[in-house]
Amino acid sequence: MGLAIDIIKRDGGRKSEKFSDEKLHASIVAACLSVRTPIGQAEAIAHAVTQSVISWLETKPEVTSHDIRRITVKHLHTHHPDAAYIYEQHRITI
Amino acid sequence: MDISSSLLVVALAALIHASFQLSLSVLTMLSGHAIGAKHSQARVLRLTTSFVAGVALMTILLLAFISLVLVDVFGHDIPLLMWATAAGLLFGVGVAVWLFYYRKSVGTSLWIPRSVATYLSDRTKATKQSAEAFGLGVSSVLGELLFIIAPMTISALVLIQLPAMWQLIGIGIYAVISLSSIVIVWVLIGGGHKLSAIQKWRESNKHFLQFAGGSGLIILGFYVYVMQVISSSVGGI
Repeated sequence: MGLAIDIIKRDGGRKSEKFSDEKLHASIVAACLSVRTPIGQAEAIAHAVTQSVISWLETKPEVTSHDIRRITVKHLHTHHPDAAYIYEQHRITI
Repeated sequence: MDISSSLLVVALAALIHASFQLSLSVLTMLSGHAIGAKHSQARVLRLTTSFVAGVALMTILLLAFISLVLVDVFGHDIPLLMWATAAGLLFGVGVAVWLFYYRKSVGTSLWIPRSVATYLSDRTKATKQSAEAFGLGVSSVLGELLFIIAPMTISALVLIQLPAMWQLIGIGIYAVISLSSIVIVWVLIGGGHKLSAIQKWRESNKHFLQFAGGSGLIILGFYVYVMQVISSSVGGI
């Protein structure tokens, strides 16, 4: 399910897209799994963080993908610092 | 240069090559995507092994190719000007590594064209099969050609003056040492270590690695210049 919020992509040139909580959830699960978190715990953390991000998004008509990433890292850090670190590093590894 | 000195130069050049980080970054990301996509540990190991094999093959092929071109152009008697040019290349790339190797931001982003970085990043995400991982390993070596060209050229120049058997041994030494860093990370990932710990180590030591790589190139350039250019000039007088 997607909220009616436009996500402006990082490079500015690409078209904006609707927010997808499933996509966010999957990316958080992937970050948790990549630091060897058990699948059940990864799903629970992803659910909690996704809900926090959705609450933050509800008051905003449009945000950038960078904003989403920043807020996700902030909330994920309270649940799993290692996963938050990997999530944050994803775009700045290469 | 005698055989032992030649092999020492090759070993130092390979060690400098090992300090370069693009293949390590791609391997870290590949592992992250594979583990995050809920692949089994065996499949993660297959993908990372194929990636390392691709890096190894391309490293050996590149060194052999550069050696072949140099033999074709100069034969086994390298002119003084070529040694001076190679020493200059080592100095130049060494200073460039000191100044530019990492981007001035957090993380381990490298000073390579963003189109290359984006391509490697997208391909890493899309890699599902061993053959794709192998190709990614090949591509990542080509992606850091800007930096590895200097240690490879000097190794090739040194190697082509050796007897055939020692040339093969020299290529083997270069391959083993230059791959040591990536093999260490591959073993750590295969052993179940957290990617976050590996990436944190890489990020916190990036300036040391940058300084060591750049300094190594400059020291090697100075050694080659003194041993091959100045000593020949003085001997000629």
